[in-house]
Amino acid sequence: MNLMITGFFCYILGMLTVFVPKRREMWAHYLAQGATILGSLCVFMSAVVYLLTDMSSPQLICVVGNFSLEMDGWNAVFLAITGLGGIITGVYGLGYGIFYQGNRLRILSSLFTTFVFSMVLVALAQDALGFLLAWEIMAVVSFLLVNHEAEKKGVWQIAYQYLVMTHLGTAAIMIAFFVVGSGAQDLQFSSLAMETLDVGTRNIAFLAAFIGFALKAGLVPLHVWLPNAHPAAPSHVSALMSGVMLNMALYGFGRFIFNFLGPVEFWWGLLVFSVALISAFAGALYAQMATDMKRILAYSSVENMGIVFVGMGTGMLLLTTNHQELAMLGFVAAIVHAFNHSIMKTLLFMSAGSIMHGMSGEKNIEKMGGLGKFMPKTALFTLIGAMGLAALPLTSGFVGEWLTFKSLLHLVNAQAGTGFRLLAAFGFVSLGLTAAFALGAFVRFYGIIFLGRPRTNIGEKAQETSGSMLIAMGISSFLVVAMGVFCAPIVELAIKVINKTLVKLPALTNNLIIMPQANTDAGVYAPLALAALFIVLAVILYGLTYKKNLLVKSDVTWNCGTVSTNRQQYSATGFSKPVRRAFGAILKPIRQKSYLQKSHDYFGREVLYKLSLPDRFTDNLYQPMQHWLVKAAAFLRQIQTGSVRLYVGYVMVAMILVLIWGAMYRG
Amino acid sequence: MEQLLILLLAVVFLQTRIMNLKNAIVCLMAQSTIIAVACFMVGMESNIGWHSFLPAILTMVFKVGVIPYALFTLVKKLTNEQELESNINANYSTAASAFFVVLSYMLIDKMLPGIGSRDIVASSLVLIMTGLALIVMRSRAIMQIVGLVTVENGIYLFGMAITEGLPIIIELGIFLDVLIAVVVLVILTKRLSLSFMTTDTNVLQKLKG
Repeated sequence: MNLMITGFFCYILGMLTVFVPKRREMWAHYLAQGATILGSLCVFMSAVVYLLTDMSSPQLICVVGNFSLEMDGWNAVFLAITGLGGIITGVYGLGYGIFYQGNRLRILSSLFTTFVFSMVLVALAQDALGFLLAWEIMAVVSFLLVNHEAEKKGVWQIAYQYLVMTHLGTAAIMIAFFVVGSGAQDLQFSSLAMETLDVGTRNIAFLAAFIGFALKAGLVPLHVWLPNAHPAAPSHVSALMSGVMLNMALYGFGRFIFNFLGPVEFWWGLLVFSVALISAFAGALYAQMATDMKRILAYSSVENMGIVFVGMGTGMLLLTTNHQELAMLGFVAAIVHAFNHSIMKTLLFMSAGSIMHGMSGEKNIEKMGGLGKFMPKTALFTLIGAMGLAALPLTSGFVGEWLTFKSLLHLVNAQAGTGFRLLAAFGFVSLGLTAAFALGAFVRFYGIIFLGRPRTNIGEKAQETSGSMLIAMGISSFLVVAMGVFCAPIVELAIKVINKTLVKLPALTNNLIIMPQANTDAGVYAPLALAALFIVLAVILYGLTYKKNLLVKSDVTWNCGTVSTNRQQYSATGFSKPVRRAFGAILKPIRQKSYLQKSHDYFGREVLYKLSLPDRFTDNLYQPMQHWLVKAAAFLRQIQTGSVRLYVGYVMVAMILVLIWGAMYRG
Repeated sequence: MEQLLILLLAVVFLQTRIMNLKNAIVCLMAQSTIIAVACFMVGMESNIGWHSFLPAILTMVFKVGVIPYALFTLVKKLTNEQELESNINANYSTAASAFFVVLSYMLIDKMLPGIGSRDIVASSLVLIMTGLALIVMRSRAIMQIVGLVTVENGIYLFGMAITEGLPIIIELGIFLDVLIAVVVLVILTKRLSLSFMTTDTNVLQKLKG
């Protein structure tokens, strides 16, 4: 308890650094980041300490009036995620903030601290009002952070879009809370959980909660703000937004499902499952297409939150069957993947920041290339992160996805009849496709940025980052590998959380290898054995090739006798061409060819080729909606002529009508 | 009391016919004076010490004194003292007033059958509705302020009839509210005449985006 309060004080100290005089800007920055790191360390430590106990009773942090802050199993997981994210991005921010010197740095740093603090409060709040308050602070602070570089082109529009969208989400969550709390004495979580509601009310509450939290998590089609907002924010902020803030949506959704809404209905699970699958698929597909480095990562977040929610959906579906004990695996998969995704995504956003810094602010991967030579350490860390997000074995990304697949497998046997089997098949196919896309997207991400030769001359002058930024990326990449190889404790912890505090399900056996179910002999993932095998193979290969010059010496690529230029490399757009072709029906790319004049007698006309990918969700869903809204407003405008007298007339008519209605009602 | 109410209704009817700004304010003064007298009579009946007369005194000071004074000083500075709408408009508002009298009595008989202060409640409703009608039908800002004070008088009369004396703190609150509203309105009207060279509120429609 004391540790957590200490963390709070650190955060508050960090928030106060905005009052440090301007000429001591860097002091303020270091103080704020230091406070964030310390505070997050406290939060992380206390969450982990709590997770390691038997979690039999919630731990009270503090009580202020009617508001109380408590830690139970479910939020301890997210506090750990927030704490870890805060530590890593805080360390990174120490160095990264230097680039914002003279550019409202004090505000950036103190808002950063506030952002972490608000997320801690979201996780800890134990009543609806406190939760909504913290949620709203989180939304507004992240809006301000997205808007930090408002002088850049298009940033404020993006920030505005984010603000509007996030408020729609908050409205939905508010509705959900009030529907759930319609019969309760107060809005404390404990009294909300006690209440029993009828099916209709629960359905409305579920729908509102799902819309609200899906918007924050960036599930399709409510994700449109995400690929815009994340690239606009400073890198350590987008790392935090993508890695931690999105998980807060999972936290809130889990609260509703496990604590407030009572028994799960079948269609809830089906809705979550399908929306999540579509998100995962669309996110991965668009991640393949984007050329803005941070946009790729943002779409990858959509994909990964999709996978997390597939786990949730599978768990919810299984809860409606007779085999409730199988549901555990889906929820465990969600927790594990959320945790791992937060580390990986933080890492990759941080390396994106380093690359941007090295490339003097360039975000377009088409203009990069060959950076591995100039930034070897960043390249290594990015490789590890990219491997994780592509879900390769021995990295942490694999564990969560593997567990999700395992839980999908349980759908097959959960119930007689073909319905669940069809669902499982559907899930397998689309998740498999998603994983393949993700692999492609990150091969492209790493390959285009770090391999080959520089495509522009900015790339030739790229510099390796140094100091705290490398340390932060190093910590993250170490964690990505460590969590991948020693994943069993994490999974065990997740199982414990689900078991002790949420749904009461029988424990499943588990040891250093992951074996989700004792009675099935198939489907065991033993990362340690794999790692050992990998090391042995590597040693053997190295021994065989050592000083034997087996590898061909490198030379310039043969290019039909001419010297190859940098522009002849595989481009990012070219790399994703096959996928764009194959999924043209979904993506609907717009290709424009315009013929210019002849510049040489012996050659044909010059051709200008333009390729653009429309944002189909914006074009086909949001634009018509906006159009419709404006039309509706135009109808309303007829009543609002601007004449004050007419307005008073409306009041008078309303008053007289109410009086007459009252008289009639009485008589 | 009945005679007083008849007088009040007569004044209200007169109010709907007046198109000259100064006369309208004088009429408003008369109306407020009648309300003050009514307050005084209620205070006499309740007989709970000196502060039962406080409402009457406050009404006299604010609605007969301060507010008309502010309006008069404002009117002096304006060049055009006439309401712009035509006489037909006056006929319509008088007819509306007559309709409101009937409607009010019908409503009272339906909603509060057998109430002792039937006439007071009905006249207060007439006052409220007529005040609103004045705001809607007149376009000069001063006339609309007059309408607002009429509404306020009606509400006050209604409160008096229903509760037989509100707590002192609420009375004070109401009076301060009205006073400040009117002061603000007077200032705004002055600004209006400075900016647009007229106090016709129709020009405000131009401000709409």
